[in-house]
Amino acid sequence: MARRRYHDGLALHQALPGQFLPFLVAAMSFLAALALAGGIAAHGLSQRWTHGAGAVTTVQVPGPDDPAAGSGTRVAAVQDILAHAPGIVAAHRLSDAELRGLLAPWIEQTGDASLPLPAVIEVHTAAGQDPMPPLLPRLEAIAPGVLVEHDSVWSDRLAALAASLQACALLAVLIVMTVAVCVVMAATRAGLQTRRQAIALIHSLGAMDSYISGRFASRVGLLALVGGLGGSLAALPMLLAMSHLAAPFSAMTDAQATAPMDWRDPRAWADIVPHALLWMLLALPPAAGITGWVTTQLTVRAWLRRLP
Amino acid sequence: MFRLHDVSYAHGGNRAGVAALSHISLDVAQGEFRWLLGPSGAGKSSLLSILSLEVQASAGMVEILGVPVMQARRSSLARLRRRIGTVWQDFRLLPDLSVFDNVALPLRLQHRAEDEIAHEVHAIMKWVGLESRLDARPLQLSGGEQQRVAIARAVIYRPALLLADEPTNALDERQAGRLMAMFHRLAELGTTIVVATHNDAIVEKYPAPAIELAHGHMVRDYR
Repeated sequence: MARRRYHDGLALHQALPGQFLPFLVAAMSFLAALALAGGIAAHGLSQRWTHGAGAVTTVQVPGPDDPAAGSGTRVAAVQDILAHAPGIVAAHRLSDAELRGLLAPWIEQTGDASLPLPAVIEVHTAAGQDPMPPLLPRLEAIAPGVLVEHDSVWSDRLAALAASLQACALLAVLIVMTVAVCVVMAATRAGLQTRRQAIALIHSLGAMDSYISGRFASRVGLLALVGGLGGSLAALPMLLAMSHLAAPFSAMTDAQATAPMDWRDPRAWADIVPHALLWMLLALPPAAGITGWVTTQLTVRAWLRRLP
Repeated sequence: MFRLHDVSYAHGGNRAGVAALSHISLDVAQGEFRWLLGPSGAGKSSLLSILSLEVQASAGMVEILGVPVMQARRSSLARLRRRIGTVWQDFRLLPDLSVFDNVALPLRLQHRAEDEIAHEVHAIMKWVGLESRLDARPLQLSGGEQQRVAIARAVIYRPALLLADEPTNALDERQAGRLMAMFHRLAELGTTIVVATHNDAIVEKYPAPAIELAHGHMVRDYR
């Protein structure tokens, strides 16, 4: 007896054609990938602004070589406190050359190179910590007139901007997901209408709701997975290009920012693309598939409720 | 096997709908064969629709194969449908499936093995005389052939309750005789059978207890 192909009458290839839905899901996934990439980029820049440049505090010690309240010079005493304070990653005293280089425009204008300059110490604090306020009384005690400057206005503003961009990206993803769910619902309902006689028949022959919804959901889930894969692949070149353009802004050091890139080396690409972005691209197709599967299950089960 | 008590049904809902059945009470035991008689519009198809779980009664109590239908969960109703075979007047064959696949459909929904399905389908199709048309599409068959396919699909899973709406309409006398013989054989084996018809000749030829409807009311329930 010859084996026959399995047919249950639902004819899902007719009810849910393989071109329309994957294309739409691919478009939605592409947009979601861009929005998520924007969110991830904003988060990365926010981290850099908050914990990078913004995390540098400047300590000015006037009369650095004068004796301190205890022993040694004032600047040595300040450096000693900073070196042992928790929450401080590094404290670097600018050399005379660095200081004069910094002040060159003003010194050249005045023509006076013998101005008494304070010692300037760059203090790098640990991420998320602000150890300077509690230290200030101790610094004042050993070096009166010491000045601590932590100009976080711009980093705070940039961080707020980044947070807004992240919120916008999240909103865009939610909108794209809502549209994708609506598209899947519409496609599923159209498919149910197309095959309503067959569905009514197999329902009357004892097919469970879970069987019918499962058959539709498997088909839509697969098509959405394919669409999600297409969207991720389509977004990949654009995201790589954007990551390359954004690399100088997200690099933590000048050397990284200006280093030439070998275009043929995949590891070089992997280095400039944030890992979160790569994970997001990998997660997008299964997320699209699961969204399609769940939406179809719910849509079909709701539709079947009209049958007794 | 099935019991109806004070059952009413209205097309399009209870309030604004058109009454199709009013206050029907019936009690049919296992293995009984009943004719369901009455002129067109008497409510025969509506009664069969209630018994085949295609529609819900608007009022009253319906119990089929021990299951109280009005209170049953959807999954229980789906399982109950697998024990009820129905031959519809319009056959309801799926045009894009072959004859084989149409007849195999109930067994596939019960997740039977494909070898077993093939064996059962060949046996039943041989019995209805259509074993050479297994690969044909329903629309390539005559009305009588389509009716035989619909009958094969209804009996292939040996239902406990078999409902048939004008099953001999498109059959010649010889085929109708074979079908009636099969129905009586199934009844002897314990299947409860209800056959709706307005063909007086076949009722006279195969006498059996009958339920008679007129204008949605039960006129007689005689044995």
